[in-house]
Amino acid sequence: MRKAKHPPVFWLFLAPVLVAFVLVIVVPFLLGVYYSFTNWSATARIGENLAFIGFGNYAKILKDPSFAYSFMLTVVYTILNMIAINVIAFSLAMLVTQRLKGRNVYRAGFFVPNLIGGLILGYIWQFIFNNAVPSIGTLLGFDSWAAAENLVLAKSATALLALVVVGAWQYAGYIMVIYVAAIENIPQELIEAAQIDGASPLRRLFAITLPMTSQAFTITLFLTLVNSFKQFDVNVSLTAGGPAVMFMDQPIYGTQLLAMNIYNQGFKSNDMAGGQARAVIFFLVLAIVSVIQVSVNKKKEIEL
Amino acid sequence: MKRTLAILASLIAFAGIALMIAGCSAAPAKLTLAQGKPEIDAALKAYAAEWSTANKVPVTIKSVGGSSGTDLGTQLKADLAAGDMPDIFAINGLEDYKEWANLTLDLSGEEWVKNTSVAFKVDGKVYGFPVAVEGWGMAYNGDLLAKAGIDPKTLVNYAGYKAAFEKLDAQKAALGVKSVVSMAAALDMGWVTAHHNFNSLLSNGLPYGDLSVVNALLAGDVDAKRLGEYADWVELLFKYADKTVLTTGNYDSQVGAFATGKAVFLHQGNWTDPNMAQAKATFPMAFAPHGSMAEATDGIFAAAPSFYVVNKNSKNVKAAKKFLNDLVFSEAGNKYMVEGAGMIPAFSNVKLNPTGQLSKSVQAYSAAGKVYSWSQYYFTGDFRDKTLAPIYNQFATGAIDKAKFVELMTKAFQGLKK
Repeated sequence: MRKAKHPPVFWLFLAPVLVAFVLVIVVPFLLGVYYSFTNWSATARIGENLAFIGFGNYAKILKDPSFAYSFMLTVVYTILNMIAINVIAFSLAMLVTQRLKGRNVYRAGFFVPNLIGGLILGYIWQFIFNNAVPSIGTLLGFDSWAAAENLVLAKSATALLALVVVGAWQYAGYIMVIYVAAIENIPQELIEAAQIDGASPLRRLFAITLPMTSQAFTITLFLTLVNSFKQFDVNVSLTAGGPAVMFMDQPIYGTQLLAMNIYNQGFKSNDMAGGQARAVIFFLVLAIVSVIQVSVNKKKEIEL
Repeated sequence: MKRTLAILASLIAFAGIALMIAGCSAAPAKLTLAQGKPEIDAALKAYAAEWSTANKVPVTIKSVGGSSGTDLGTQLKADLAAGDMPDIFAINGLEDYKEWANLTLDLSGEEWVKNTSVAFKVDGKVYGFPVAVEGWGMAYNGDLLAKAGIDPKTLVNYAGYKAAFEKLDAQKAALGVKSVVSMAAALDMGWVTAHHNFNSLLSNGLPYGDLSVVNALLAGDVDAKRLGEYADWVELLFKYADKTVLTTGNYDSQVGAFATGKAVFLHQGNWTDPNMAQAKATFPMAFAPHGSMAEATDGIFAAAPSFYVVNKNSKNVKAAKKFLNDLVFSEAGNKYMVEGAGMIPAFSNVKLNPTGQLSKSVQAYSAAGKVYSWSQYYFTGDFRDKTLAPIYNQFATGAIDKAKFVELMTKAFQGLKK
């Protein structure tokens, strides 16, 4: 490897970023790992001093069915959300790169949901699912829409789908922008050549557009994977973890994703160290999965 | 290049000097109060502003709470970690106190202690200033009960409520109501089920301050008869509640259904008075006792559940103590508590009376001595929110039946035994 030798001014210019990165990312991360091996509570209890307790917190996690449940639920949610977001985003991107009237308005319009904060979005959609949908159903003569047992948020399975709907609605516009940039970068001559050869639109999609945008897929799949896995704000405001279900013979929260599980362990149960241990596991899993995803996607990229 | 560097260097130097000045200057007295009742936020801020001008001590009020995602405990943990603990903060009962015991100042010597019987005490020492007396029972709409021909005096036990609910349910259309009871059991409304309703099991029918049931449950001993009767009561409430509000509703939809006359009963406390005023609900309303037992019980649950404690490490202990004393002994303080915030004062020298109908009802029960304790705070928040709330929620959605409800509750209490 080439040994880089940088002049002092290089480090001077790098310093602000480096300091910020070390202070707000590296140090808290290492501290967090350390705290996960202690009995830290973040409150002021009498007679409790910070003590090193080894793998105690990690051992407790294995015995907690709610963590296992949240883990599986998050995997399911991530898969559904990745599919939904990318299919919708790619379709939208195809749509707004056609010769449409007012396509810039569409591009902006599809992107707007991304500008609304997740908490507010959750409350808006809670209103839609709990009040608007039943009212529309009653207006149209489908009284069953308003029945309590048919409400989307009343069952854990449909409530999870509601999370996917809101997640896709929020994030598809953002991912669309990345796809739009990729699609517009496809050399025009490739498409023209295909058209002259008489390739159908579907054939052009699979033979040209998809392979030529594979670089964008690396990014979008990574972003949707990581963001779905970390979903928290919409989860809190839309379902608050409800409704409850039975799992391994214990009553637990039915739509509590991993991030919310970590938060509740830390703040509701007054067990910060336990929450931190969960966060460390969360980080390891997410890091491994996303590294695999990126390397698989990289292999599929083509260079011109 | 040189010029850029010079500008950069001078900027850094300037920032450094500014920081040093900020760090060195001696901080004048100022107070921060963190509390968990968003409904009194505006009134408290107005009073604090008035007090600041009179005493030349700026006061900052932080109100956190009222929804699922945030509560005061969460904020306090963040404040402690940031080294920015408020001078006065609110706690709820013993389990909450234990989390902050290292920081709470002994207030036994304060002037106001003599004027209250409900200060928060541990081992004979006073640590907490009672914010207000609060109470809850089954709030009822007097007009609708009269129209249906039901005497509220019959609402004292399970049988009385069952008869009343059946009668009301049969005339829902005539009364123009959607459901008999407005009850909420969604997971983020766990404080209604697993905190408040749960307390019926703990203290209904017992002498004030009697912890026999609490201690038995904490030790894992379940009185099957008491729990069985309680399960009947929960089933009755859930059965006659509007299912939409019950399973997916929030505080607004629960209180709103009662305030707009769409429900005859409301399972909430006198803190809904400001909401009733906002909704312009003027029909006669009052509390009836819970019917969680076969035997008649004639009181509601009333206590001072929330206490202000003073941070031991605060630099402004003197100002903090004065702030609390002024609430009790100054006219402006009394006016704020009773008229501004609409609370029932916990101090004998305060002569004002709140105007809210439900608060008046709580006062009437207190004056008659017909009150039962709030004992739910003897159980950890972790236990109530993460273990009990999902059980109630599944019972409400119909995922489990009454037998399973009793079985899960029994198992949960047995799990408490250390």
